[in-house]
Amino acid sequence: MVGPGRQERAWIRGAQSGSASDLEALFREHWPRAHRAAYLVVQDAAAAEDIAQEAFLAAVRNLDRFDRRRPFAPWLHRIVVNRAIDWARTRKLRRETAEIEHSDEADTGEFGNPFSDGVAAGLSALQPEHRAVIVLRYLLEYTPGEIADLLELPRGTVNSRLRRGLDRLEEILDRGQR
Amino acid sequence: MSGDTEVRRALQRIQAPDELEAQRRAWPLVRGAFEAREPVTWHRRNLIPLLAAAAVVVLLAAVLSPPGRALVGSVRDAFESEAPKAKPALTSLPAPGPLLVNSPTGPWMVRSDGSTRHLTPWWEGAWSPQAKFVAVTRAHQLAAIDPHAQGEVHWTVSRRGAVHAARWSPQAGDRVAYLNGRQLRVIAGDGTDDGVLRRRVGATPPAWRPGGDRELAFATIDGRIELAETDDGRTVWRTRPGEVPTQLAWSEDGKRLLALGPRTLRAWTDNGQKLWTIGLPVGPSGIAFVRGSHRFVLIRYSAATGRSDLVLYQAESNPGEARFLWSAAGDFGSMAMSPNGKWLLVGWVNANEWLFLRLTASKVTAVSGIAELFGGSTRRKRVEDVFPKSVSWCCPASP
Repeated sequence: MVGPGRQERAWIRGAQSGSASDLEALFREHWPRAHRAAYLVVQDAAAAEDIAQEAFLAAVRNLDRFDRRRPFAPWLHRIVVNRAIDWARTRKLRRETAEIEHSDEADTGEFGNPFSDGVAAGLSALQPEHRAVIVLRYLLEYTPGEIADLLELPRGTVNSRLRRGLDRLEEILDRGQR
Repeated sequence: MSGDTEVRRALQRIQAPDELEAQRRAWPLVRGAFEAREPVTWHRRNLIPLLAAAAVVVLLAAVLSPPGRALVGSVRDAFESEAPKAKPALTSLPAPGPLLVNSPTGPWMVRSDGSTRHLTPWWEGAWSPQAKFVAVTRAHQLAAIDPHAQGEVHWTVSRRGAVHAARWSPQAGDRVAYLNGRQLRVIAGDGTDDGVLRRRVGATPPAWRPGGDRELAFATIDGRIELAETDDGRTVWRTRPGEVPTQLAWSEDGKRLLALGPRTLRAWTDNGQKLWTIGLPVGPSGIAFVRGSHRFVLIRYSAATGRSDLVLYQAESNPGEARFLWSAAGDFGSMAMSPNGKWLLVGWVNANEWLFLRLTASKVTAVSGIAELFGGSTRRKRVEDVFPKSVSWCCPASP
């Protein structure tokens, strides 16, 4: 991961010294991608907003301990993606339980696919863990090695999740085109 | 699919719904949390020994100075955080004035000698200004009762929807505001002239403005806070939407209003000028103004440590740096300030205790068995299910 730019270091230093305007600059810089990453993993607008908010609140709480020689984004994205994976797993578990209890009822669409077509629609058919590595790789542009560090996974696991995720996406999209 | 490039392009084209609005909603919370934190300065990070020495000097100053001149004025910086040994029974209150306790078994009055009276068959109650009456509710009924005369009913009204959150106007006591389903209604103190003030409001108990006897603050269903003149129903001012609060509290002089929500605490002046918003961690919370001041005590729960803190802020142009007062494992529930302003009652739910904190000296006393005192049993139920939900110490300026 490359180090932070001079501007970002200045914002972090300013925020650590109590400058709300520097914090706001950091927030505006990083909110859109953090929010979008959360949304692509959880595929629920309200949950994504909560997760991104919580990640920023956690970042603010730990701001004083942050080493400003390091880039801010991976620190934030680690929180976002891990929380998003946890949330998506919990939802899946709830849905499975609900399906067992109400298997004769029609799907209300509460957990429906929010994406209409293409790559995005295929993404929602993946496991949350696979979605997360795809999002980290192709939206947030981390290398597999960086993703391994962020998610505390062996690099081989990241590579295999990426490969399987892409294969599955391709399969879904091919089926859609036929 | 052409592989990586197509995936990259497709993902980067997707926008989360409502992305900009979400950003607008998030920033005040983040900024609030930022303003509420206690920043670690360069000196604190790098000169710990110097700070420790300074702390010794400050502590010595605190010890040597009389309580009234202590570091932060009339309220001490911090109490000893060790839990005091709890008394097994409530034998007296440390300051004059009776308590009105709303427990899951209904409202109770507690006299200065610690004796209690259950105000059956009502579900919740609120003092009239001089504690002569209690406005009580149950299901569809609102009544004014005399708690000193076996709960004699002076008047009662029934409405179709559920009736709750009655609040008696603080000075003349000539009006009672209450919630009836989603309606906010106001009735005269003698049980006449019952009418609707607003047809759809949030579930937050309304709060009369001290000093402005006819002005009532309440929350709308989209979390706006509105101040209304109850004579003619006119809106004095209304805020922008926000969280629907769980508690509204006025300072004793009626110049400051706080709205406590699950995630934020907002403050305004009496003319509706917003002072600030601070973000709160999710968990139990509560607020109580220090009498005769714009400072207030906030319950701040930390999920990470499972502890609750009592911290002091101010409802001025900025909330000031949080001053820590007391901390304990678990949840703090209801709070009530004594009428003389010297004592703060805090419900320590997990310990099933009430704590009485003397604000002008670092003294804490505790009384155990609170759930049982008000008719609850912890044998088969969790203490949080039977512990009193709210307390008011007569005669509060703001309910």
